[in-house]
Amino acid sequence: MDRLVLRPATYADLPAVERIAGASPVGVTSLPRSRDKLFDKIASSQASLSADVSGCGEESYFFVLEREHDKEVVGTAAIVASAGFSEPFYNFRNETLTHASRELGIHHRVHVLTLCHDLTGATLLTSFVLDPAYKDGDIPDLLSRARMLFIAAHRQRFADNVVSEMLGVCDEAGSAPFWDSVGRHFFGIDYPLAEFYCGVKGRSFIAELLPQHPIYVPMLPREAQDSIGQIHPFSRLPCEILLREGFETERYVDIFDAGAVVQARTEEIRTIATHSKAKVVAHPADVGGSAYLVANLDLSGFRAILANAALDDERGEVWLSETDMQSLNVLAGDTVILAPL
Amino acid sequence: MRLRPIAYGDHAALVDLARGAGIGVTTLQPNEERLGRRIEVSVDSFDHRLEKAQANYLFVLEDTVSGHLVGTSGIAAAVGLDEPWYNYRVGTAVYCSREIGVYRQLQTLFLTNDLTGASELCSLFLHPEHRRGGNGGLLSKARFLFLAEFPDLFAHKVIAELRGVSDEQGRSPFWDSLGRHFFRMDFSRADYLSGVGNKSFIAELMPQHPVYTAFLSEAAREVIGEVHTSTRPARAMLESEGFSYQGYVDIFDAGPAVEAPASAIRAVRDSAVCEAAAADKPDGSLFLVSNRRPHEFRVVLAHGAVGEGGRFALTGAHLDALEISAGDSVRVVPLQATR
Repeated sequence: MDRLVLRPATYADLPAVERIAGASPVGVTSLPRSRDKLFDKIASSQASLSADVSGCGEESYFFVLEREHDKEVVGTAAIVASAGFSEPFYNFRNETLTHASRELGIHHRVHVLTLCHDLTGATLLTSFVLDPAYKDGDIPDLLSRARMLFIAAHRQRFADNVVSEMLGVCDEAGSAPFWDSVGRHFFGIDYPLAEFYCGVKGRSFIAELLPQHPIYVPMLPREAQDSIGQIHPFSRLPCEILLREGFETERYVDIFDAGAVVQARTEEIRTIATHSKAKVVAHPADVGGSAYLVANLDLSGFRAILANAALDDERGEVWLSETDMQSLNVLAGDTVILAPL
Repeated sequence: MRLRPIAYGDHAALVDLARGAGIGVTTLQPNEERLGRRIEVSVDSFDHRLEKAQANYLFVLEDTVSGHLVGTSGIAAAVGLDEPWYNYRVGTAVYCSREIGVYRQLQTLFLTNDLTGASELCSLFLHPEHRRGGNGGLLSKARFLFLAEFPDLFAHKVIAELRGVSDEQGRSPFWDSLGRHFFRMDFSRADYLSGVGNKSFIAELMPQHPVYTAFLSEAAREVIGEVHTSTRPARAMLESEGFSYQGYVDIFDAGPAVEAPASAIRAVRDSAVCEAAAADKPDGSLFLVSNRRPHEFRVVLAHGAVGEGGRFALTGAHLDALEISAGDSVRVVPLQATR
């Protein structure tokens, strides 16, 4: 089995990241098909990792998943410390209005979508893209949940709630039923073009064009109603992982394609709630024990892997194989952070 | 034919007439008790026993030969003063981004009470057999002579809500695309409930937020501000009198509300006070002639002309119908606007 390591992206990863961005569907605006924008993402991540940060602000952290033996990048994942810090972060909030008339004996509930900034300031998980060859097994967990370990290890850099936007449904030509029934009226352009502008022009134009009044869902065409909160096949895998981590899908949806926006309290995310810190004890051969996500506590030198480890909570020690220690770039006596797989 | 205020004795005839009016004439539902109440309100209004908020003047068109009632017309002194009066204002919302070169105008419906306090022309219904020979004009425009005579009873603004588009089965495309989602009932039932004065349910059930018409069906968008085929002549008549559509529509069927300042209505502005005279066979064009009396108000349609010294000649039959004699004062106005 290939040994994979998650680490911060560097400038040398740009061609690989560009290749991965090119293979991801329309709507993954966090990974725009623009070399300049991807360069900026890596630069921002590098700057954030080397900055002395005491709260969460404009930082972002961009990771790649590397196959150890040939140094091939097979996936990306990122964390934005504070959504909406530099440009507005919009969602539709699912709301239910009660329309009732006692006199007529009518009582029913009407579903509306209201534009909101509720999730501004939340930590945002983005840019989850994985080579399909690794979609089975535990690798997707490593790519997604290593970010939780990073958050747990550097808790002061992140907010008290974490959100992630799932890609909504659209067809192969990139047209989305929700966009065609809602956004198109206000933007007057096709969905892929809107996503393109979002990725490269920033999001301020959204504020100018989004509906300021709530949208009454029962008035929308059936296929648009049905797409609210639905998830594109591309996002199913990352969504499943986040749901297992305790994220909820009910409250918010994306403004363009109505894909679910999942959210959780940071402390209640499973990986974060169950993490431990322990001192490494070297073990020459197979450790036995059980499967863990393990990471070191570095910033620029952050590494996370899947490993079998034997944790002794009382002594605050963990046995790791020397191979795993090398992948993590830690020595005996160093502290690592880990959570059960 | 002559127009006069309704009286208690007209109840049975009014019920019969209402049965022929059908869906869409919300102020004339064939309900005996409510029509009885309606007559009472009108009688009390002519007797000045009601506040403007409640006053509603109902007139009937009477065949002076047979004594039959063939039509009704009314004026509510002021709408929306004791319960809310709703219209949609058909407005525009502009969505523009210079950065990506987008400019969009979106038609938006805003729920308003903007027409609160206006006087309303209502309850216009003429039996189909009598829709000829100036009867429609007499029935509708006679109200303007009442307005001209007693302006203090009414508001400065006069409105009329015109029936919107619906099909033979009473289905309204606007209702089906909007109201039905919130009321979960047919247009005809909602229309009935509204007509019998059950207005509070509107506030409870209608969408309170503005509605983008882009979310309505095309059929619904097309009928916003449009009248039912049978209402086209009424709209043309009101427009010729100076009424105009200012962007307010009915919240159920999107039929237009037309409005005019009372003093600018042609038949109010151009009406003149004359002295009645007797003649065997007066010449001239058709005039509306009223007897100017607050209680025994009568209007007839007569050929004639305003003569020297402000005299207006009428036949003996017309003088009888107006219940006046030669020498009494009358208010007259040409039935049609002259170009």
